[in-house]
Amino acid sequence: MKKISIKIFLLAAAVSAGSVSCKKIFDVKPKTELDVSQMYRDVYDADAALIGLYGKFMLLSEQYIILNELRADMLEYTSNADENLRQISTHSATASNPYASPRPFYELIINCNDVLKNFDIMRKDNKLNETEYAHRYSDVGSLRSFLYLQLGIHFGEVPYVTSALETVDAIKDQKNFPRLSFDALLDTLIKFEEALPFKGEYPAGTNLNITVDGYPTAKWFINKRVLLGDLHLWKGNYNSAASWYREVMETGTTGTQNGSYYSMYKVGWDSNGDIDHYINYGRAGDASTLTLNSQWRFMFEQAMTTEGFRREWVWAIPFDNKFKPGNPFIKLFSPVGGQYLVKPSQDAIDRWNSEKQRPVTVAGTVSGLPYDARGQLTWREIGGQPVVMKYLYNYLNYLTNAPTNILQKDGKWFLFRQTHLHMRFAEAANRAGKHRLAWGFYNSGFAGAYPASGSNVTNFQNTLSEPYPFNFDGRNSGSTGVPYYRADWYRNIGIRARANLIDQAVPATDSLLNIESGLINETALENGFEGTRWPDLLRIALRRNDPAFLADKVYAKLQKDGVAEASAVRAKLMNKANWYLPFNF
Amino acid sequence: MRINIYKILLAVTLGSTALSGCEKWDEHNTVNDASLKKDLMAQISADGSLSKFAELLTKSGYDKVLSSSRTFTVFAPTNDALASLDAAIVNDTAKLNRFIANHIAAQTFYTTSADTTLRIALLNGKYADLLDKKIENATITVADKQVKNGVLQVINQSMPVLSNAWETLETNAAIPAKQKAYMLSLFRNVFDATNAVKIGVDATTGLPIYQPGTDSVRTNIFWRNVYDLRNEQKKYSLFVLADGAWDAEIAKYKPYCNGSTADSTTLLTSWTVVKDLARDTVYRDAELPDTILSKFNVKVPVGKLNIVQTIKTSNGNIYVMSKADVKPSDKLKPYVIETENWRTMSAEKRGNMYIRDRVNTLTGKMFRDVLANGHGTALFNLGYRITDVYSTKYRAYWVAVNDVITNTFTQKVGIGEATATLLPYVNVAPNVYSEVYLGEFTLANYQSVLNIYLTAANSTSATANVLVCDYIRLEPVF
Repeated sequence: MKKISIKIFLLAAAVSAGSVSCKKIFDVKPKTELDVSQMYRDVYDADAALIGLYGKFMLLSEQYIILNELRADMLEYTSNADENLRQISTHSATASNPYASPRPFYELIINCNDVLKNFDIMRKDNKLNETEYAHRYSDVGSLRSFLYLQLGIHFGEVPYVTSALETVDAIKDQKNFPRLSFDALLDTLIKFEEALPFKGEYPAGTNLNITVDGYPTAKWFINKRVLLGDLHLWKGNYNSAASWYREVMETGTTGTQNGSYYSMYKVGWDSNGDIDHYINYGRAGDASTLTLNSQWRFMFEQAMTTEGFRREWVWAIPFDNKFKPGNPFIKLFSPVGGQYLVKPSQDAIDRWNSEKQRPVTVAGTVSGLPYDARGQLTWREIGGQPVVMKYLYNYLNYLTNAPTNILQKDGKWFLFRQTHLHMRFAEAANRAGKHRLAWGFYNSGFAGAYPASGSNVTNFQNTLSEPYPFNFDGRNSGSTGVPYYRADWYRNIGIRARANLIDQAVPATDSLLNIESGLINETALENGFEGTRWPDLLRIALRRNDPAFLADKVYAKLQKDGVAEASAVRAKLMNKANWYLPFNF
Repeated sequence: MRINIYKILLAVTLGSTALSGCEKWDEHNTVNDASLKKDLMAQISADGSLSKFAELLTKSGYDKVLSSSRTFTVFAPTNDALASLDAAIVNDTAKLNRFIANHIAAQTFYTTSADTTLRIALLNGKYADLLDKKIENATITVADKQVKNGVLQVINQSMPVLSNAWETLETNAAIPAKQKAYMLSLFRNVFDATNAVKIGVDATTGLPIYQPGTDSVRTNIFWRNVYDLRNEQKKYSLFVLADGAWDAEIAKYKPYCNGSTADSTTLLTSWTVVKDLARDTVYRDAELPDTILSKFNVKVPVGKLNIVQTIKTSNGNIYVMSKADVKPSDKLKPYVIETENWRTMSAEKRGNMYIRDRVNTLTGKMFRDVLANGHGTALFNLGYRITDVYSTKYRAYWVAVNDVITNTFTQKVGIGEATATLLPYVNVAPNVYSEVYLGEFTLANYQSVLNIYLTAANSTSATANVLVCDYIRLEPVF
């Protein structure tokens, strides 16, 4: 009897103890998360791993924009911003500044390495066939290379790690992971990327090229050819860079000769405002009739499934209230529903306002409006404060500035579009000695750079005498020309023509540097706040070995915004070593 | 077996630790301030120095309110403070109730959170300012005594019930007669459908028909158009001119308010004078500036030397002034008409009109103007409207940048009518960015509404009838 009661007592004690800590006692596999042993069994697992990497990549979007824009001259912190953002803007980041930490990048790199390792194992076990393996391996490898390029841009010397480490802290050990200089890193990345077995996009109809929640997945993934072009451009291999960009520019040149054939990634017109993305006026010359519900502004708002989005954007990732992670850009940019931490700098505002639009001929000799209207569509005043609008058009109504639903923070992370592509192709072409071609791409397009005197276009509107990748055919015989002729590039209109701006005049004495500076200026006007400003400035400053190119621009920003440290920051940036953030792991 | 015993011991020890731990915690949470068991009335009754106030509470019936379960803050004057209380208040139930209610607020307010002025609503509808240890003029001697149903603050002076600014204006004998008479004459019936009885629908317009007498409220124009001086929540400064000063101001502004009859002139002039004599701010005596800006942005000199008397009201101060000499140049503002915001077009020519952004080469600033070009209409004009225009002489200017055609063309500003000849046609030479003087004109009568036109030449030629303008400015001449 005595024995039994003790047993009962013990049982009761065990039950009560177990109710507190049963998870430790029984090794049950979790129901909502996968165990290592359940992962990488077939191609769907491989896809899940890959989507997981991109999901984690989205967490870097805030740091990506802050590093690439706030370090440069167009984005400025507001009075709401904390010390960390101020430090980034004034190039004085301390070791504890989360925006200046390479750690989040390396965490994702380690994940990429792990996935790549497992892809190799799956291929060995024949769980992936050769094509499936090539597609996915190349994608993850390129994403990793993109992260390394970002690290190189911001930190200069970084360790290049390709093994799957258990913890990211292992990278701290410099003995195991020596740091590569930016230049050596570029060589390594180029070698790796060139060797990848697949450089295209996921073919239509495959698992990773579908539509999910109304978003086509094709635009989520990195464009490997663009990355290759970028790497070569940074390295100074201008022909190779132009060749890779050219391949992307010809993405649409396939199949039926329709609007997509002539205009996708070609900055070509289509007589459809949702696709053209012009700066357009309902009535030319009447500033109050600037088109808002379509055309240029609309490319930032339009659905990813639309044809206009497909032809304009090369790489963009959606944020939606229906899935995670949440959109960090509302917090950064919006005074409504966000914290309004960053704003356009006065220098950026002045940049748009120092341009001039094309004169209007219909009303006699009306001269053009005295600004670049892309500025009005890129930022606007809300409640007396300048606000970067590009990221907010899926959240705030463009007429009322009010959110449709204050809690549904939809938006997109803009990474790359056709104007980046053309601008960088032109940058490479310019350095390769093709100045007129480069000038045409960002001004009035082919027809503007190689005009025809009449309807006989045989020897005009083309550069077919040039070697690839500089041989373009933009011939257009006009409606009455005989023979009727439309070449692949006849619709290319040039970036400034699309924005209704007058061409940049280039003095004959120094077209190389003038065109290069013009290109960088044009990227600022067209692609401002899309996360490429600092790399653009850095690339040119490195190439020209001209610290003032970078330092003066950052100085102008800080000085116009009344930041006291402006002169000190300029002095600091005149030393190349200070272009990079300290590698504080 | 030995092992089992150890296990039992362990379990028992652990269990007992958990149980014994709770006792200390209970002690820690025990309420031990005895006054928290008392309600406000009990607390006041228990305090000998507040016995008079307790007596008044009982007399007025507010003792039951303060014993209730709702939450209050009571500002209780000491016996010393109530020693000189007017017997008329004590003996009149209505007055007493208002007096007592003037010391009670229906929420808890602590002096510790009154580091900036709190405007506290009292039970009688009045408000009092609490700042640190001061409530209105009284000082809080025993602060923030917390009891079961609220907070008790002991004060060293009672708080008299004051009239509000409007009541004071109506009743206080010290208010000068003329301005008072005018302000009290401003009662009008104003349409208000809130309580209207609908008796039908107008067959032609579709608008409702209301029963006569129900569709309006009687209200004072000053309340509606300047400030509602009855509002207890806000604070106002009202300046009332002594009769002599009032007459001087009327005489000064009569020429600018010339109406069709002598009566309408007087009414317009009186309104012109009175509308700027109030402000929705209250100033401490030392901080009263020598010039205030009225609601209509008019500078009113209110120098301290001209203040005859300051009357404190429950919602601000009334100042009786021997003089408040408002300059006509401050009262009569220039009119600036942004011509791109037109109300009317003489013909539908939107297709020939351009709203343009331009940079003024003289100022370096961007401006927006309107251009009508190639419209083919003789005397084409755009219409604008300005309001409350005084009868005086004006000079007219514009900025009109002709960067459209190379020849000079003419256009004019029409006052009242598009073809009015008060101002002449003026040349618009190419590329003039400065302000151009157009001439002067005199308005004989005050106009509550005046139409202004920008009129093109009497020609159908596109090189002659261009209209272009940034703004038109009408400047009163003194």
